[in-house]
Amino acid sequence: MSAPVLSLRGVSRRFGGLAAVSDVSFDVTEGELVGLVGPNGAGKSTLFNMIAGVFPPTAGTIALAGTDITGRPSHALARLGIARTFQLVTLFAEQSALDNVVQGLHRHGRPSWFGELLGLPGARATRRSMEDRARGVLDLLGLAAHAADRAMDLPLGTQKLLTVAVALATAPRLLLLDEPAAGLSHEESRRMMDLVSTTVRERCTIVLVEHNMRIVSRYCDRAVVLQSGRTIYDGDPAGLTADQRVVDAYLGVAEIQ
Amino acid sequence: MSPSRVALALLVALLATLPFTATPYWLHVGIVVLINVAYTASVYAVLRMGYLSFGHAGYIALGAYATVVLTTKFGVSPWIGMLAGGALAALFGWLLGAVTLGLRGIYFSLAIFAFGEIVNAVFRAFDWFGGPAGLAGVPRPEFLGTKLESHASFYSLVLVIVGLSLLALYRLQHTHFGFTLLAFKTADTEKLAQSVGIDAARYKTACFTVSCFIAGLVGAVHAHYLNFVSPSIFTLFYSTDLVIFAMVGGIGNFWGPVLGAALLTALGEQLFSVGYWKSLVYASILMIVIIGLPGGLLDLPKTVRGWFARRPRTDAAS
Repeated sequence: MSAPVLSLRGVSRRFGGLAAVSDVSFDVTEGELVGLVGPNGAGKSTLFNMIAGVFPPTAGTIALAGTDITGRPSHALARLGIARTFQLVTLFAEQSALDNVVQGLHRHGRPSWFGELLGLPGARATRRSMEDRARGVLDLLGLAAHAADRAMDLPLGTQKLLTVAVALATAPRLLLLDEPAAGLSHEESRRMMDLVSTTVRERCTIVLVEHNMRIVSRYCDRAVVLQSGRTIYDGDPAGLTADQRVVDAYLGVAEIQ
Repeated sequence: MSPSRVALALLVALLATLPFTATPYWLHVGIVVLINVAYTASVYAVLRMGYLSFGHAGYIALGAYATVVLTTKFGVSPWIGMLAGGALAALFGWLLGAVTLGLRGIYFSLAIFAFGEIVNAVFRAFDWFGGPAGLAGVPRPEFLGTKLESHASFYSLVLVIVGLSLLALYRLQHTHFGFTLLAFKTADTEKLAQSVGIDAARYKTACFTVSCFIAGLVGAVHAHYLNFVSPSIFTLFYSTDLVIFAMVGGIGNFWGPVLGAALLTALGEQLFSVGYWKSLVYASILMIVIIGLPGGLLDLPKTVRGWFARRPRTDAAS
């Protein structure tokens, strides 16, 4: 059996005296869609940031397809095939939707600096082919009509889809989605999750952070629940509401419906 | 050819004929204008990716002092001196850029400001560099056996070097490389850029190094024009003037800072006989532009059109 796409072993992170994540271990296999669930402050974002290389774990190891990637910086991880979105919509606001995706294509060859400086035809052709590829990615997520619009002018739902498009443009093996449906209307949320669970997941393995249990049980293959930085559940999303520890963790939280 | 290209070609042709037509005084104005345009464009190159430099005079001074020391103390050719000036400024830009470009906003601006002050203080403090009085007797370069002593010949040199510098900066910004640089405008977009595999630190340092190289190179040319250097030329006020030029011209595109530097420098030369007027006029113009025309002179046509556009009628107050 080949190595899992993502493998966490005893991953911990302390901020001063605070243990944000403690001894988290789980694997994600190729093609899986895993939901990372937990109440506010459970350590989901901290764990995400460690996998994406924003900061290193204070203990434990993270491996991508069998290669230890613990502590590598985020741009290096992107080149190895980890892409992510951010909880707050983050885009190149003043650039067009198309240009946002072109930025996302960075790791797949770009015009040589020297060739461009001299205006060589090869460099121009490379740039054009990048734009063609970017159009293809926009098309996948139904954003083709917005190619020329400035990112900042788009409605929130479209912006969030665009953040997925930018991440997808890197052609990742592993895509980390940080609350892709948060803040969206019911319709937008459905559109987002339908795309994530079909078009996007056909192209990469996905771990998504989600608050809303209903979304996790509907779309994810597996749920990993964190509470106070520890894993309290790892398994079938259907079993979430029957698990006493999960219910306790969510006690009084409206999202469990 | 597009109209803007025609206009640019005409402007270059006009500038190229000045050595044959203009008086030495106007050639002097032309030289000072071109030098300041190059400095301002180098500040803009960094500003464009979200970093406001209040210390470019430090890099200019490094270039100027490098060539002055090499030519007056070691008898090195001014041509090599000028290249060395650019290289020294680039080296310091690279070293300092690697450390300071991780800072954001006012923290970066203050760090670079401090660097400019340190450079200035060092040149002022050591007699070997001429101390507060500076170093004089800087030779003009020779070209085909002729020393570029006349205004016309030195103007031609400046036109070529500044022209090439602007071309390099323009190309740098209008390529995929320049497109990538736009990804670092804020800390958030920089994180996004890194998440798609862009090594932000490398890109930012490269851009800063090029900017410093051009500041140093043109600084060296500047020293050969003046025939001397002194620490009182390349002060904080020079750095802030460059920022004023850029802001007044408008930082929406490459040409705003060029325009601002050209207009204000030409104006400043007319006010030269009364030194304090220059500061007063620059500061007042900056204030008026910041308040009334935040996009700078680039936005003037749009703003004027706005004044004449019919405003929607509002009902009389009830």
